[in-house]
Amino acid sequence: MTPLFKKWLAAAVLLMVTSVAMAQPFDLPQLAEQLSGPAVVRGDFIQEKHLRALPQPLTSHGQFALSREHGLLWLLQQPIRQDYRITPQGIARRSENGWQAVDPQGGSARQNQLFLAVLSGDTKALQRDFQLELSGAATAWRLQLTPRGALLKQIFADIEIQGGETVTQIELHETQGDRTLIRLLDSQTGVALTASEQRDLGD
Amino acid sequence: MATERLQTRRWLATLFCLALLGLLALSAWQWRDGPPLSANLLQLLPNASHDALEGLATERMQVPLKHDLMLLIRHDDEREAQRLTESLAAELRGSGLFAQVRERVQPDLPAVARQLREQSLGLLSDTERQQLIEHPARFVQQRVERLYDPFAASPLPLEQDWFGIAGLALQQLPQLGTLRTGGDGRLIAEHAGQRWAVVHARAQGDAFDERLPQQVATLVETARSAVETAGGELLAAGGVLHAAHGQRSARAEASLIGSLSLGATLLLLLWLFRTPRILLAALPVLVGALAGAAACVALFGQMHVLTLVLGASLIGVSLDFPLHYLSKSWTLQPWHGRRALRLILPGLALALLTNLIGYLALAFTPFPALTQVAVFSAAGLLGAFLCTTCLLPLLFNGRLQPWPRPLGWAQRWLQLRQALLARIGSPWLLAVFGLFCLGGVLQLSFEDDLRQWVSRAPVLQQQAERIGTITGFRPTSQYLLVRAADAGALLERQAELSRRLSDLQAEQRLGGHLALSQLVAPTAEQTRLRAALAQLLAASQPLAALGAATNNLHAEIERLQAQPPVTIEAALAGPLGEPWRALWLGAQNDGVAGLISLQGLRDGAALEHIAEDVPGTTLVDQPARLNQLFAATKLQAGELKLLASLLIFALLCFPFGPGGALRCLAVPLLAALASLASLGWLGQPLTLFGLFGLLLVTAIGVDYAILMREQVGGAAVSLVGTLLAATTTWLSFGLLAVSSTPAVSNFGLTVSLGLAFSFFLAPWAIHQQDTPAQAGRPYGAA
Repeated sequence: MTPLFKKWLAAAVLLMVTSVAMAQPFDLPQLAEQLSGPAVVRGDFIQEKHLRALPQPLTSHGQFALSREHGLLWLLQQPIRQDYRITPQGIARRSENGWQAVDPQGGSARQNQLFLAVLSGDTKALQRDFQLELSGAATAWRLQLTPRGALLKQIFADIEIQGGETVTQIELHETQGDRTLIRLLDSQTGVALTASEQRDLGD
Repeated sequence: MATERLQTRRWLATLFCLALLGLLALSAWQWRDGPPLSANLLQLLPNASHDALEGLATERMQVPLKHDLMLLIRHDDEREAQRLTESLAAELRGSGLFAQVRERVQPDLPAVARQLREQSLGLLSDTERQQLIEHPARFVQQRVERLYDPFAASPLPLEQDWFGIAGLALQQLPQLGTLRTGGDGRLIAEHAGQRWAVVHARAQGDAFDERLPQQVATLVETARSAVETAGGELLAAGGVLHAAHGQRSARAEASLIGSLSLGATLLLLLWLFRTPRILLAALPVLVGALAGAAACVALFGQMHVLTLVLGASLIGVSLDFPLHYLSKSWTLQPWHGRRALRLILPGLALALLTNLIGYLALAFTPFPALTQVAVFSAAGLLGAFLCTTCLLPLLFNGRLQPWPRPLGWAQRWLQLRQALLARIGSPWLLAVFGLFCLGGVLQLSFEDDLRQWVSRAPVLQQQAERIGTITGFRPTSQYLLVRAADAGALLERQAELSRRLSDLQAEQRLGGHLALSQLVAPTAEQTRLRAALAQLLAASQPLAALGAATNNLHAEIERLQAQPPVTIEAALAGPLGEPWRALWLGAQNDGVAGLISLQGLRDGAALEHIAEDVPGTTLVDQPARLNQLFAATKLQAGELKLLASLLIFALLCFPFGPGGALRCLAVPLLAALASLASLGWLGQPLTLFGLFGLLLVTAIGVDYAILMREQVGGAAVSLVGTLLAATTTWLSFGLLAVSSTPAVSNFGLTVSLGLAFSFFLAPWAIHQQDTPAQAGRPYGAA
């Protein structure tokens, strides 16, 4: 090997390392930190369920409030009114008699944990079940979740999350061909829950 | 004539030696595959039900109790926890001890989907069925809501389940415990912010056979140290671990009690007789133990560890024969082994018979545990007696000169007793004794619980508790057995019971339950549901508004209507039926039968009413039944004691006449009473085992009275012999009191107290007016 060749190789390697570092300025711990920063995030959402069997997607919208400490309120307003609450204890629906736990043990338990993990950027919990692939920068990133285990693979093909300061869009591809797209609009970060939100998430 | 007798003796000894060789060969054959020991507590319990179906049901319900091993692993580092779990599971699989090891489940989703598609009408729950039949419009409206629900999981795509019936059927199936599966199928339990990986294993073959529990326990201990070295934590629970503990402690106790009592006894003999030859006196004990074990294995196929522990106490009793015999050397001098035997043989034979009566009385109790002890002991005593009479006179035929002091002590003690009796009359002493007994018996409490039969293992219990808290699995041994003429009626009965049980659950008196009716609806209900499907179609407008094609909705309703009714067997055969499979007993002689299993029962009394209200239902509550049986057996123990006493009385009438027999019998009976009173004064409860111990007190204690009364070689020498016999018996029964199994310890305490009183009361068996057969006669004058 000639000295000239050596120099050229060193330069090439240096260049490669720099470009890799520049392409990956944003990593999972940073994302987790960024998403778990604000105490409260609230905004509107639009949800589209693209079901193979229906010609039109099922579109609904409403408001959400996510608290780092307490959980998520998901208030569906159109076309039907239905309030959901997801906390680490489980998922509940509002009825005439107050909040009622929905299927505390069943299949959706996993899904709601997943949902909460996604919105709050709990990458540690996500990494248990998914292969995570992050691209983009802090202001515009994209996280691709591919199921690791056979069980989840039977349900999800993959999940794609996009966002900047907060999550802006979640797309779930089900193995059987259906797709759900959730867009979070006008997200505002805050420091505290309102009194009614606190009541709803508290009991 | 003397030579003729010598010939007979020789001949007898030869015969005995041949029999002994036979016994050794038999034992060697019985032990060819290792010790035939069992630690299965359930084997020792009486079969409380005479109903074959209940027997079958109990067997089913005991499978998890006996075979399951639950392991929980926690580590702060998620990946490390996973690695440890995997290596543990691999270790368990590799051991070949388990029929099944599960650390993850791979639900076959296509199979689940198939079952849901084919059986959704049958699997739909009560509430949802009512909703569909009575309010079809609301049912459809809720279907639409679920379609918008971002969190509703659906097992089937919309085009296969337009009305969401399959989705609801899955959602409504109850799940026990808080165990769930992670995304990769790993079994997980979360509690108090901690995440535990779960490994569930089912042991192969009989979980209580000799080797398996120890091997499993060793595996678990190795795994525990590996996990702890890695900085994690491991919890383990399972009947097999309790069995291992029981075996280990029983074996340790049996060898401790055995070696201590035998060792101490031999030292005592060496000290008194001053010749190493005296150690041969232990021969009858060994022969007795061998005979007992051989008889047990021959009759029951194996020996229980509890029998081993209780059997260890037989050392003391079987030593009585050589001791009574050899103690005569204090006065029968010069010692002549065979002549001494001739003199003592009647007394010895009487003692053997009374002991046998006492031990065999145990065999007539409904407790297989006691039957085994009885067989072991009876065979053991017979062996020891034969060895003493056939072999000892040959072995101890030469000079035997014991240390003379103890005879002097005995004489002084008898004089002292005479002096005391002269000053204070017997009636007064009897009155004091009566007061002591009355006061004690009044304070006595009877207590019996199955838990007393199990050696205490607080560490195992704590772990089982924690696993119960973390996983929510709290299996109970109570369950409901439901019978009906046909499957439809059975499901209706179970549904009614299930409703009542759910009420109990709401009141926190029950953790959970599994009933067949939760899985599948009665045929009549399925027919009603099928008939209501037309209304559902009529109310399907909201679905059509979403874009569902009407012909698709039609097709689905037609498909559902064409489904044949779902049978219990079909529902159980699918993957969703797995948790319920053990509950179905199928067709019986007079109909069908199924079980309802319970979890975390806090209030057993509430169940009784439920069972009474629904026809065909039996509450099978093993612990309660056993406790009832314990209570019923108390009475039986009393009857047996009476019967045994009568038999002993009849037996003693031959040599002593009715008066003498009564006197002899009064000694152990009063001793038993005093033993009861002492328990009361000591604040100890009387257990069933203790009660049976009192049976033994009568049988063994009467020996002391008989030998005191026979007075071969004089009263003092009889007292020395009795003291020796009593001391060695105390050594073994007294040591039982240290057992970690409460029932055994209570038994030991009761018997040793009773024998102590028997010894102190024994001199009363000598009647002053009697001219004892051999008293004062010069040796050999017979």
